[in-house]
Amino acid sequence: MTAESNSVKMALRLRVAGTCILLGLLIEALTLTWNSPIAFLVFLGFGGLLMFAGIVFYLLSLVSSSAT
Amino acid sequence: MPVWLTYAVLVLTIAVIAIVVLAPSVTVSRGGKILAFLALFIFPVLAVSLGYDHHMERSKQTSFCLSCHLMEPYGRSLHVDDATWLPAQHYQNHRVPHDEACYTCHEDYVMYGTIKAKWRGMHHVYAQYFENPKPPLHLYHPYNNRECLHCHLGARSFEQGTTHNADPQIMADIKSNKMSCLTSGCHDQIHNSTKLNEVRFWNGK
Repeated sequence: MTAESNSVKMALRLRVAGTCILLGLLIEALTLTWNSPIAFLVFLGFGGLLMFAGIVFYLLSLVSSSAT
Repeated sequence: MPVWLTYAVLVLTIAVIAIVVLAPSVTVSRGGKILAFLALFIFPVLAVSLGYDHHMERSKQTSFCLSCHLMEPYGRSLHVDDATWLPAQHYQNHRVPHDEACYTCHEDYVMYGTIKAKWRGMHHVYAQYFENPKPPLHLYHPYNNRECLHCHLGARSFEQGTTHNADPQIMADIKSNKMSCLTSGCHDQIHNSTKLNEVRFWNGK
């Protein structure tokens, strides 16, 4: 695998991870302005999950890129 | 933690993530890799921690508890014009903070009591949407005197109360939770949510 295709792959992974985290952050910002018990569930269930997925995806991409 | 700090961290995090997403080529350099690590790991963890803290603090508020339709009679019981109603006299005489009235009495004053109370709250939210609970509601466990004594222990009105000292055993039993403050017949007018149509209300509520 060439260095160029590696960096393209890494850029794509960063974009996917960043987008997941961005969406999670936007959900968090929305729930902070929403004073209802369900806001907490949305924050954890959707925002937290997206951010967790994004962070894990980013860390996994770091590990896999250093392995190659 | 002030809410503006949470928003500031959110905006900062979104800005640095946007740089990484829009121009991933910046991560080729060493500085760019550090920026990506900050943007995709450190800042999001900080932002979610601050958001979690904000939600937790907000869940202590009386208005938060009373936002569920089922809790409405319990909120009304705080305004009953009768000093024998325990929650009402605590609320109306500022023995509990108005904005954290429910939490102050229903928290367990033990190690991790705050976390336990929050998880019970999470179960309440679940029950509200999926279990269709019917009033009157019941506590998971009998009310522990420890929660009363958190404030009243050492208070003159408690320590020198005539009934509390009628027999030395009474005081010992109260402090060891053998004799319940609420169900022993002394302070037994609690929320009484089913009798609210039989009482008058203070403050025009």
